[in-house]
Amino acid sequence: MQRIATTVRLNRSVLQFDDAAHVRLEQYLAESASLLEGDPDPQEILADLEQAVADQCTRRMRPEQTVVTLAELEPALEEIGSVQAPGSATASPPAREATARTLQQVSQGAVISGVCLGLARYFRLDVTLLRVISVLLLLGTGGAMVLVYLGLMLLMPYAPLAAGGTPIRWLPAKCRAFMEFLRAKLGVDRPGKIAT
Amino acid sequence: MAAESKLAPIRKGLLEFLVLKIVGAKSVYVPDILRQLAGTEFTTQEGTLYPLLSKLRREDLVQYEWKESDAGPPRKYYQLTDTGRAQLAALDEYWNLINRTIANFGH
Repeated sequence: MQRIATTVRLNRSVLQFDDAAHVRLEQYLAESASLLEGDPDPQEILADLEQAVADQCTRRMRPEQTVVTLAELEPALEEIGSVQAPGSATASPPAREATARTLQQVSQGAVISGVCLGLARYFRLDVTLLRVISVLLLLGTGGAMVLVYLGLMLLMPYAPLAAGGTPIRWLPAKCRAFMEFLRAKLGVDRPGKIAT
Repeated sequence: MAAESKLAPIRKGLLEFLVLKIVGAKSVYVPDILRQLAGTEFTTQEGTLYPLLSKLRREDLVQYEWKESDAGPPRKYYQLTDTGRAQLAALDEYWNLINRTIANFGH
C-alpha cells in the first residue's frame, strides 16, 4: 500500500507531507497568519516561519525518509513555538480573554467546523442545546439548514487556537484548512471580526 | 509564583535589547541567536524571534544578507545598521544607569 503525500513548497524548500501532517501544517500556518493580523509585514515573517518548519522537519527525518509525518512535524512546531507579536508584552492571555466578545468558530472541541461551539460561546448557551436545535432544524427544513451552516462557516472567522487546549478532531481540522484555503481564493482572507 | 506575572513583561521587553546585543557582536542567523539565548532567562523560539527581527528590520535597526550554507537553502544573516548600533549604545548606557539607580535605593 502506498501512502498518499502532498508536496508542499515552504519558502525555499520543497517537502512531502502525509495527510495528517499536511492538515497540521496548514493549521499552524493559518494560525500564524491570524496571529500576525495587524503586523505591517506578515509575508516576510510567514516566509521565515515556513523555512524554519522545513529546516526543523528535514533535520528530524531519517536519511531514507521522504515523507514528513506528525512524528517530525509536532516536535518541530513545538520547538518553533507559536507566533508572538513583538510589543504585545501587555497582552497576556487573561487580558485577551477580557476583550470584546467576537463571533468566531471554535475548532477545539468542535464536531463539524465549530459553528455551534462558537455561537454557544458568544451567546453563553449550552453547546449541546444548540447542536440539538441544529439537528432538529436540519430535519425540519429538509436539509436547508446545511446551507445555513455552510454560510456561517464561511462568514464566521476561526478563533485563534489556544496553546495546550483541547486537541482538534479530524473533521474540524479539515474544515478549517479548507475554509482558510477557500477564503484566500475568494479574497475574503480577513473577513474582519464581527465584534460586539 | 506570583512574581512571575511581573517578571514576564520585563523579560519580554529586554529580549529586544538582548537581540540587538547579539546581532551587534557578530553577524548571526536565527539558530545562532536561539543557541546563545538557550538556557538563559531569555530562552526563546523562532515563533517569537522572526516577528521581532522583522520589526527591528522595519525600524532600520538590523539588516540581513543571504549567505549560502553547506547544507540546505541559503540563510539570512543579520547584522546591525548604523542606526541599530547607535540605539544599542543608547540602550546599553540607559541600562547601566537604571541598574545604578535601582542599586542606590532601598538601603
